[in-house]
Amino acid sequence: MTTQIELSNIDKHYGAFHALKNVSLSIAKGSFVALVGPSGCGKSTLLRSIAGLETITSGTLRIAGETMTGVPPRKRDVAMVFQSYALYPHMTVEENLTYSLRLHGVNKAEARQKAAEVAATTGLSALLKRYPRELSGGQRQRVAMGRAIIRNPKAFLFDEPLSNLDAALRVHMRKEIRALHDRLGATSVYVTHDQIEAMTMADHVVVMRDGVIEQQGSPLDLYDRPVSKFVAGFIGSPAMNFVPGTIAPDGRSVALEIADSLSLPLSRTVEPGRSVIVGLRPEHLVVTDAETATLRLPVSVVESTGSMTYVTTNTTPELTVVESRRMNTRAGDNIDVSISPEHVHLFDPATERAV
Amino acid sequence: MSRILNSMRDGVGFDLILVGAAMVFLVALAGLPLVYNVVMSFQQVDMFTLGSLVRPFAGFTNYVAVVQQPEFWLVTKNTLIFVFASMAGQFIIGFALALFFAQNFPGAATIRGLFLVSWVMPGLVVGGIWSFILAGDYGVLNAILKGLGLTQATIFWKSDPNFSLWSVVIANIWLGLAFNMLLLSVGLAAIPRDLYEAAELDGANAFQRFWTITLPMMRPTIGAVLSLGLIGTLQQFDLFPALTEGGPANTSNVAGYWAWQMSFQLYDFAKGATISVMMFVLVLFASVVYVRSTRHEVRG
Repeated sequence: MTTQIELSNIDKHYGAFHALKNVSLSIAKGSFVALVGPSGCGKSTLLRSIAGLETITSGTLRIAGETMTGVPPRKRDVAMVFQSYALYPHMTVEENLTYSLRLHGVNKAEARQKAAEVAATTGLSALLKRYPRELSGGQRQRVAMGRAIIRNPKAFLFDEPLSNLDAALRVHMRKEIRALHDRLGATSVYVTHDQIEAMTMADHVVVMRDGVIEQQGSPLDLYDRPVSKFVAGFIGSPAMNFVPGTIAPDGRSVALEIADSLSLPLSRTVEPGRSVIVGLRPEHLVVTDAETATLRLPVSVVESTGSMTYVTTNTTPELTVVESRRMNTRAGDNIDVSISPEHVHLFDPATERAV
Repeated sequence: MSRILNSMRDGVGFDLILVGAAMVFLVALAGLPLVYNVVMSFQQVDMFTLGSLVRPFAGFTNYVAVVQQPEFWLVTKNTLIFVFASMAGQFIIGFALALFFAQNFPGAATIRGLFLVSWVMPGLVVGGIWSFILAGDYGVLNAILKGLGLTQATIFWKSDPNFSLWSVVIANIWLGLAFNMLLLSVGLAAIPRDLYEAAELDGANAFQRFWTITLPMMRPTIGAVLSLGLIGTLQQFDLFPALTEGGPANTSNVAGYWAWQMSFQLYDFAKGATISVMMFVLVLFASVVYVRSTRHEVRG
């Protein structure tokens, strides 16, 4: 698979602020890459650097093999969908769609023809004569997408495109964007702070933090093998439970510091006596009977959504347990849970790296 | 009675009082003088009938007399030149400055603020200063032009019939520049940044971005600036007594100053009123064009 966008050792400074620190990333042609992380982590800056809207301080950026240093945005042949959509308010939907074609000297008839095609794929055919202010949020979003598609660019860049939509529409547009990506065989880079969006849409997820790439890989890879406590806590919902613990003298189990002598078996041998942070995903804590359980935990809150039951324990720190069965547990009861050894994650308390 | 009082406190009555106050003010201080002025332009007015409201009806005699004045066509031509040259200068330089200060370099806002000084100064003072600058024998402008080698001869800006009108135009451009720049700056600042970014990614160069994004988005602002500029230029008065007094031989006289001369120097109030009615019709026409052009205002 060929590389469409290649970033090597990118640095970006805003005055004294170091926004991107030695970022290297290679984006394969036809792939859907999500840049995800909390606000201020540099994901948008990275995307805008690819577009050319920000100039990188040092490092090289190549798009389709060409070095982009000093190349203005209009010559990079990338399309961007903005969070605000950035539709031209004084132009109709059709004029918005054909703007780039008209700039590139495509004749009117051909531009209209293409606009009609794009409108058909994005469901805008009936709205071509409308102005952006006459459209709903979802329709504006489609125009922004259509404006990107019509040019057949080398890459699509999405800057949190769904964050202005309501929850139901967001889930719907998620699938639509992914389907469109597959149909066009496009290369997409998608910035979001929502890990669910990243997990569900992308082939390759890049988790960023404080201007560095914390971890990248396939969505399930990040879920199964987080390299740090940050990634472990960021990916997955509800978030992973973290409990301080100490490795037992035989190195085959870990004692949790939440109640007296609760210990979990490990799938491998770890340096005995080492203090660690134990990461347990709520969905990996399985409610079972007293005989097979490894942990017995007091319950403080039980929330049920019908399909799922969320149990919060009365421990320090408190743990969340997710169970897909219905339970008649109440606050004040105890629950017995077990977790299989390969689902126990260990992190170093000082470096927060996986052990 | 108490119902009326109640309605004044928290009902429609209060709204009516507010609207009424504004209406009384407008009718008394703008509406009546305007109507009186129109009435006067159709009457025979002399020093003896000045105090009375009912005077002999004159029909269009005053209008015919104004048009037959030997200086009428000269003043008309001067007015058109003065209005178009002043507006063009104020608008183009004002727009250029607004774009310049929109670049957000250090100190941009402060320096832009300093430009307002010209707007705060009374026209008579501005005229007085420009009178020094434009003076033939000792003026700074002539010194600069000679120093640069652009001209050898001494230009008598205020008294040479070829330049007298332009001396007022130059001063008026300077006077109105800050106002134009300020309104246009506000309009520029209201255009979202990401529109430019989107256009840039769509392949628009700087000129195309200006032409397809800035100008259409600025349309309502430009309409307002131009119509206010037209009104401001037509009513410009202070600079004329300070610079040329309309001379020499009416070569720098414009309608507004001429109307004042008719009424308050020659005491021919009928002709003065007639000239101002003619100007009023012109401004009314421009205002209608402006209002119609902003009816379909587009803002995202």
